[in-house]
Amino acid sequence: MRSTGNDIVALALVNKQRTGQVRFYSKILSVSEQELYHQPETQQLPFESYVWLLWSVKESTFKYLKRLDPTLIFSPINIIIQHIVIPRVSSDGPAVAEWESTGEDSDVYCGKVVCGVHTLYFRAKINEAWIATVVNNDECFDDVCWGVKSIVNPGYKYQSLEARLALIYKLSGFLPGDLRIEKSPVGYPVIVNNDEETGVPASLAHDGYFVAYSFLLHPEYVCD
Amino acid sequence: MDRKTILTELKKVLAPYTENKEMLDGINEDTDLIRDLKINSANLVDIIIDAESTYNIEIDFDSADRMYKVGSCIDVIIEKMNQSA
Repeated sequence: MRSTGNDIVALALVNKQRTGQVRFYSKILSVSEQELYHQPETQQLPFESYVWLLWSVKESTFKYLKRLDPTLIFSPINIIIQHIVIPRVSSDGPAVAEWESTGEDSDVYCGKVVCGVHTLYFRAKINEAWIATVVNNDECFDDVCWGVKSIVNPGYKYQSLEARLALIYKLSGFLPGDLRIEKSPVGYPVIVNNDEETGVPASLAHDGYFVAYSFLLHPEYVCD
Repeated sequence: MDRKTILTELKKVLAPYTENKEMLDGINEDTDLIRDLKINSANLVDIIIDAESTYNIEIDFDSADRMYKVGSCIDVIIEKMNQSA
C-alpha cells in the first residue's frame, strides 16, 4: 500500500521561549536528536526552527504510517530523525503566498527518519513564515507532489476547506473529472473522481495562515 | 480530587488551544482533543506541560501518548497525582 504524509508549521504561532525550554523540547526530541543539533551544519538553523522542523517531520511520518496501521498512536519521541542534509542553496528566504515542489528543489532539507521497523525519507522547505515537510518511502521524490498556499482566514473551518480546495485544484491538472475529497474512518483524505475512489494517496495539513498538501502521482504522470 | 473537578479544571488548560469554545463548554470524557476540539497537534506538548504545572505532576512519554481524549487525560492526571502523593 502506498502512502504519503505531510505537515506545516506556521512560525508566527511558535512560542520561541517555550520551545527553548528543556522540558518542552525533551518531549519532542530524543537524546540522539538533541545531539544531532550540535553538528556544525544543523546549527545553522535557529534552535526553535530545528525543534519544529523535527516535529513536522514526525507528524508527517505519523500521517504516512497511520494509513498503513490505523491503530498507530502519535508518539513523537519514538519517531527518530537520524540524518539531516542542509540545502545547497539557502532556503530561509521571505514567505511566499504559494509554493510547490518542482521535484528538483535545491533549497530543501532532506533526511532519514525511522519509526519501529519503518525507514522513511523526508523533504522540508523552510522560510521566514513556515516549515513544510513531506515523507516518502523512497529517497527519490519524483512522484511526490507537495505544496503550500497562504490563506486569508485562519479559522479552523476555513483552514480545512482551503486545504481541500488547494489539493483539488492541484489534482485537477492530473485527473480531469468530478473530483471530491472524502475522509477515511481513520481521518486521512480519500480522493474520489466521478464517484470512484482513485487510490491516490493524499495528505493535508494546516496551521495559522497556511495550508499544505501532498499526494503521490501515478507513474504515468511523472516526467523523465 | 474527583474526575468531575479535574474535567472542569482541564477546560481551563485546553481553552487557549481551541477555537471551538462551544464544544469546549460541553466536553465529556469521550471528547477527542484533535478531532472534536480541533486542537492543533502542535499544541499537544503545550497542553501536557500546562497540565504538569497545574497539577504539579510529571508526565512521562508513554503517558503523554495516551492523552488524546479528555477521559484519558483525566486518567493520566489522577495516576500521576496518586504517584506523587
